[in-house]
Amino acid sequence: MSQFKDLMTPLERARAMSAGQPVDRLQCNPNLSNGIARISGCRISEFNHDPRALADAVIATHRRFGGDGAKVFTDLFTVAEAMGAKIKFPDDDTADLLEPAIDDVSRIDELEPIDPEKACRIPTHLKAMEMVVDEISSEVPCTALVVGPFTTAFFLIGVEKMTRLMVRDPQSVDRLCQVSLESTLRYVDAAASRGMGISIAEPLSSCTVVSPKHFRRYAAPVVGKLLNHIKDKGMGTSMHICGKTDGIWEDLADMGLNALSIDNVVPLPGCVSKVGDRMKIMGKVDPSSVMFAGTREEVRKACLSDIRDAYRSPKGFALMSGCGLPVETPIRNIDAMMDATRELGWPITEEKLEKALAIDRYDD
Amino acid sequence: MEKENMLKELARSVVDMDEETSAKLSKNYVEAGFDAYDGISSGLSVGMDEAGRLYEEEEYYIPELLLCSDAMYAGLDVLKPHLRRDDSSETYKAVVGVVEGDTHDIGKNLFKVMLETVGFEVYDLGRDVPPKEFVDKAIEVGAHLVGMSTLMTTTMPNMPVVVDLLKAKGIRDKTIVMVGGGPISRNFAQKIGADGYEPEASAGARLARKLVTTKLETMSHVAV
Repeated sequence: MSQFKDLMTPLERARAMSAGQPVDRLQCNPNLSNGIARISGCRISEFNHDPRALADAVIATHRRFGGDGAKVFTDLFTVAEAMGAKIKFPDDDTADLLEPAIDDVSRIDELEPIDPEKACRIPTHLKAMEMVVDEISSEVPCTALVVGPFTTAFFLIGVEKMTRLMVRDPQSVDRLCQVSLESTLRYVDAAASRGMGISIAEPLSSCTVVSPKHFRRYAAPVVGKLLNHIKDKGMGTSMHICGKTDGIWEDLADMGLNALSIDNVVPLPGCVSKVGDRMKIMGKVDPSSVMFAGTREEVRKACLSDIRDAYRSPKGFALMSGCGLPVETPIRNIDAMMDATRELGWPITEEKLEKALAIDRYDD
Repeated sequence: MEKENMLKELARSVVDMDEETSAKLSKNYVEAGFDAYDGISSGLSVGMDEAGRLYEEEEYYIPELLLCSDAMYAGLDVLKPHLRRDDSSETYKAVVGVVEGDTHDIGKNLFKVMLETVGFEVYDLGRDVPPKEFVDKAIEVGAHLVGMSTLMTTTMPNMPVVVDLLKAKGIRDKTIVMVGGGPISRNFAQKIGADGYEPEASAGARLARKLVTTKLETMSHVAV
């Protein structure tokens, strides 16, 4: 259990921060993935067709940890599925892509943008969003985690085919991205009309997968349009990209992204100094070595050291894990992550950080 | 000299991602009477190594690497039937696959290619492989190495399940276990008791060969 108490709700904290007022602690989002099922005690497969189970898991996670965002999300394939991809639903594990929507570029014209009110699991997600907004939006900012259009495009034709097409057949990639973007925009509209904020997951934009050159050529145009669309609704956006991203930080800032969540494989101080004056930076505790496999003290030290690296970032810093946490991440490690921010409180000073880093708080 | 030039050109066609040229050069190479094994080990795989180096230097990314491996396979298809029998006598056997719950197999495919270039016969179980299948196949073929990969943090816990199953079947001591993929770290590999980890496929394959050779040597000493 948590050793410390919050003095503000996440929503009060978010409001105070945006008004430049003092808060009780730094924002923190442990970024649970399907592990939220372990918190509400349901099976992961129940998410997929039962909005109550999904909403309950999101709400239970908010109540258990007090993280600074409540996120409705199950897996990366919801939009691709609604466009014809086949998905596998294990009983108690994350859904996964079984087959892309099409097997050949000659079939791109068969792809149609989704109707979010009807398509596959999306109505379930939208219903869950309504419940989440209804029940906890007075305490915590609620967001729909939307899969980015470039990433969904990979699932429409298959990851390997798409990567080859980027070199061999640029026009087909553009067409895939375009129809994927149209679906994404419709999904965003449906989620926003339920009162949800929008955050984006664009894992395949990562420089671990594609070069910055290909990112600029294929991903940036559609991601940029998505960001503008969300901005036009008067909302800000945050985005998570897995893996290496240092080659495209400037591009993301240029596109008008408000907050960037980075993976643990990229240097946090470098990110802060390069683009911290243009975007809020979030990150980047290692989800596997530290959160999944580490001790509580290792979690605490990793959190404190990330905070030391980034708390002075001009547009702000929020502590997050570098990517979604493995389902079986020890719950006490997630508590330890939240508690690292509570222990420091506010304002954060160099002196407090040094003191905290010099001691051990856990004996395991 | 002519052979050396041809080997260089073979390597170049892989780096240049040129499938057609790689196949054509491979054909010319065997028709000129040169040794197929050298063509693979000193031609195609040198090109793939170079591609791996360019990847490490962030000149190449995964799409480029995939196309390089396409070119390499095109050459391999031509050269493989010409391999002499005794070349394959030192072949080690590897079982590779993406663990259950994940279908991202780019990393696994690269590792497979690189394993082939360092002399492994590779049994590829594909994607989304249940733990039991790794172990059953390893027993069936007498694998020297089991390689597991994943890109998703959520599926990592399936890796120690395979290690435990290998133990339960009594073949853990005879089999090298390697794990890799986006979220995998050296720390995680150690924690679950894997023998090896390298973040990059070509280095991973070299390590695989070293681990297997060392293990076989050790075992032969034990036998004596």
